[in-house]
Amino acid sequence: MVLKFEAKWEIPYVHSAGEHGTKFFEALREKKILGVKCPECGRVLIPPRAFCERCFVDTDEWVEVKDEGVITTVTVTYIKFTGLPDPPYATGIVKLDGADTGMLCLLGGVDLSDWKKVHEIFKPGTRVKAVWKDKPEGKITDILYFEPVEG
Amino acid sequence: MKRVAIVGVGQTKFRTRRDDKTHPELTYEAMKKALDHANLELKDIEAIAYGTMDPFDGIYCPERWDVTSGGVGKPFMKISTGGTTGLTTGLAAYEHVASGMFDIAMAVCTQRVGECVDAQPVLNTAVCPIYERHSGAGAISVAAIQATVHMAKYGTTEEDLAWVSVKDHQNALKNPNAHVKLDIGVEEVLNSPMICSPLKLLECCPRSDGAVAVIFASEEVAKKIRDNPAWVLGEATISDNYYAGDRPDLSHWDTLSIAGRRLFRHAGIDNPIKDIDVAELYSPFTIQEVLELEALGFAKKGEGKKFAKEGITFPDGDMPTNPSGGVMCTNPIGATGLVRLAEASLQVMGEASNQIPDVSTALAHAWGGTLQFHTLMLVSSKKKL
Amino acid sequence: MKIGIVGVGITEFRIHEEPFYNVAYQAAKTAMKDAGIERREIDSFILGGYDSLGVGRTISNMYVAPAAGGYLRHEIRVADDAAFSIPLAFMRIKSGLSDVAIALGFGHSSETPVELVEVQSLDPLFHRDLKLAPQMGYAMQSYAYRNAYNVSEEDLAEAVVKDRKNAMKNDYAYVKEETSVEEVLNSDMAVYPLREPEIAKWCDGCVAFILAEETIARRINPDPVWIGGLGWSYDNYFLGARELDKLNSTKLAAEKAYKMAGIRSEDVDSVEIMDLTSDYHFMILEALGFADYGSGKELLDSDFPVNKSGGALCTNAYGSTGMFLMANLAMQIRNGEAERGITHAISGIGQNSVVCVLSK
Ligand SMILES: [Zn+2]
Repeated sequence: MVLKFEAKWEIPYVHSAGEHGTKFFEALREKKILGVKCPECGRVLIPPRAFCERCFVDTDEWVEVKDEGVITTVTVTYIKFTGLPDPPYATGIVKLDGADTGMLCLLGGVDLSDWKKVHEIFKPGTRVKAVWKDKPEGKITDILYFEPVEG
Repeated sequence: MKRVAIVGVGQTKFRTRRDDKTHPELTYEAMKKALDHANLELKDIEAIAYGTMDPFDGIYCPERWDVTSGGVGKPFMKISTGGTTGLTTGLAAYEHVASGMFDIAMAVCTQRVGECVDAQPVLNTAVCPIYERHSGAGAISVAAIQATVHMAKYGTTEEDLAWVSVKDHQNALKNPNAHVKLDIGVEEVLNSPMICSPLKLLECCPRSDGAVAVIFASEEVAKKIRDNPAWVLGEATISDNYYAGDRPDLSHWDTLSIAGRRLFRHAGIDNPIKDIDVAELYSPFTIQEVLELEALGFAKKGEGKKFAKEGITFPDGDMPTNPSGGVMCTNPIGATGLVRLAEASLQVMGEASNQIPDVSTALAHAWGGTLQFHTLMLVSSKKKL
Repeated sequence: MKIGIVGVGITEFRIHEEPFYNVAYQAAKTAMKDAGIERREIDSFILGGYDSLGVGRTISNMYVAPAAGGYLRHEIRVADDAAFSIPLAFMRIKSGLSDVAIALGFGHSSETPVELVEVQSLDPLFHRDLKLAPQMGYAMQSYAYRNAYNVSEEDLAEAVVKDRKNAMKNDYAYVKEETSVEEVLNSDMAVYPLREPEIAKWCDGCVAFILAEETIARRINPDPVWIGGLGWSYDNYFLGARELDKLNSTKLAAEKAYKMAGIRSEDVDSVEIMDLTSDYHFMILEALGFADYGSGKELLDSDFPVNKSGGALCTNAYGSTGMFLMANLAMQIRNGEAERGITHAISGIGQNSVVCVLSK
């Protein structure tokens, strides 16, 4: 028999969003999604960032993108991980109209109990639209999830 | 460039928990085994590269404690790069010798994922706290979104993927160090609980405790140590941009293709499936072996799904993968990449527990980040191809 | 084959509002501009800095690699003070695996309480419950040092005064406030026997170096700063098993660096040391061979340049301090203020050291 000691890390962090992030989150309060356009490759990058990794130049042209787009992929989690959302929850990547990169996000608005049915609804190419919090606070969670667009 | 060989390999037994040992004791166990394998003593080791992923073990900078396993008074360098840590640590140790600065260097990696009550929240902290962490993404969901796309694009089935798991589990039965030992078939995999759709429990790796050490030596020294060393023929590492949503097409692991191309060009590989006899791939999730086979040119795009099912990747097939049982059955995260190199080297030496006949060249691979990094190393019984 | 520094990029060292990866991008950009090269001309990206708890992200190079310019390139991270990434970059080039590499250090602790993070580096069995912050470890070394060699508080205060004076002339230094021996001696006791100004303060900042193999280096820059010697070495974790009045990891690292460069301490005309405390200022100089044990204070009265940058006592970013000091020495050599110098970095509670010889 060996002894075991319990331990837990509780360390506070205050993460800076930076100037680019700040602009993005302020726009979220008005239910707007902003991306930056790279002056060299012309891609509209979401989440916005201070530089384009590919071209290695500063980015400062802001572009509003739609809160609607297409799913590129999805997964539904069915087991509980410590500290992560209660299952089931659907995580996916959505390419918003007007953006050149996808956004990792939650998907919802449908019954998630049967994964096969979920995958029939949320497929690569399925159009989805953001469902917003009633009173956005300027956080990424202002977008509750993306749900299928009717029709 | 100095020619370098791997001359010793040591692995602990990998288990859910290794309550019998402290962190440095586990490190020591692997180091001792590698020294014994190479018939060397600790004083012969001139420098050490050490790798781990801190938060899984609940110790920040555990190298400070772990150095007491045999590194005190030596150059001892800590490497940490996510899932690739094990292999980048091997690469760092290799560079210690290839540079001519040292004749004998050791790579050692220790990880105790078992001491972390749940690894997924730790993996979630790798995800951007400002934009992405709320999505609940961890390693499993990141692999699952690859599977979703591959299935949609190529018609890859749950059964195709289940065969990858069956192959790895069968292989693990022959490896005394392997963690999960289950004699399972396709039905068991298909009937196991859904974790992150479409990936099921038996398509996902365990969390393992354990350590591994690999000793590198310069050509002159290697020849004196053993007559069957594994010569390092090449390496490649690639880093993508950060956001998961930036990947152009999740059905192709294009960064691995690029890294593979660079490695093969450097090492003189014309036809991977012909020139490489066995591959230890970092595939903690079934779908990833399929993507890796395709990315590295072992399979054509969309055809990797058939490889396990048709027996090609089984030990008696044309392109055996993970004869050790792979990451599917043993995953001490920050050490896993070095286990791949250790097992690839043992195959080349002809000393692996699940030995493939007539191996001359073997590939070791690791990936890390949210599908962001890859590292490859190629070893062979020949000094060059 | 020689390996030279052909580009240097230093950001401001202060508390940064921008996330650490944006600061890192600035350092990389500045270094590339300084060398006059593009991202695409660099084949290897060697990062240095702390991880996980230190920055609140588990794999910190996920963020820093693209910021350094590593998109679709070779990239690796040494998880320690960034100065420890220099040997790895050096060895990669020396191996012939790289022609032009960037070594980028990031230091950014202002998002979290560093002491609480560092306490987690203590093993969970024997030491963590003692809640030993790094400053407490340094203080125990100070206590041992002062006792062993009868070093006076005045002399130690003088080391702070000297660093502070030098920092006034360094645009990149963080603490820019001259002080006097009296002021130091009358300041608050922080961790006995260390008073508040005798302990380095945390700040944020990044540094990048462009390194290249000799022939390529000369194409990029006619006068590179050459890396002549490198040594690094780890001491014991258990403080009870160490000689607390000496910095043996520094001593061993220095011996290796001197041997590789084929020089002795007398051959050096500038030194930058990571003096996290006033006592470290002397202990490091002694370990590097510039003075006998207990006599480091003698250098205060000489005109031998120690920490023209202001040292760690004036600029200490968690993870990039050593590289900051190295950049300062490289600039001194470029400016003709020095011909051959030594830089030193240390991590843990004086447990791990790296020494680098730079020359014209
Ligand atoms: Zn661009």
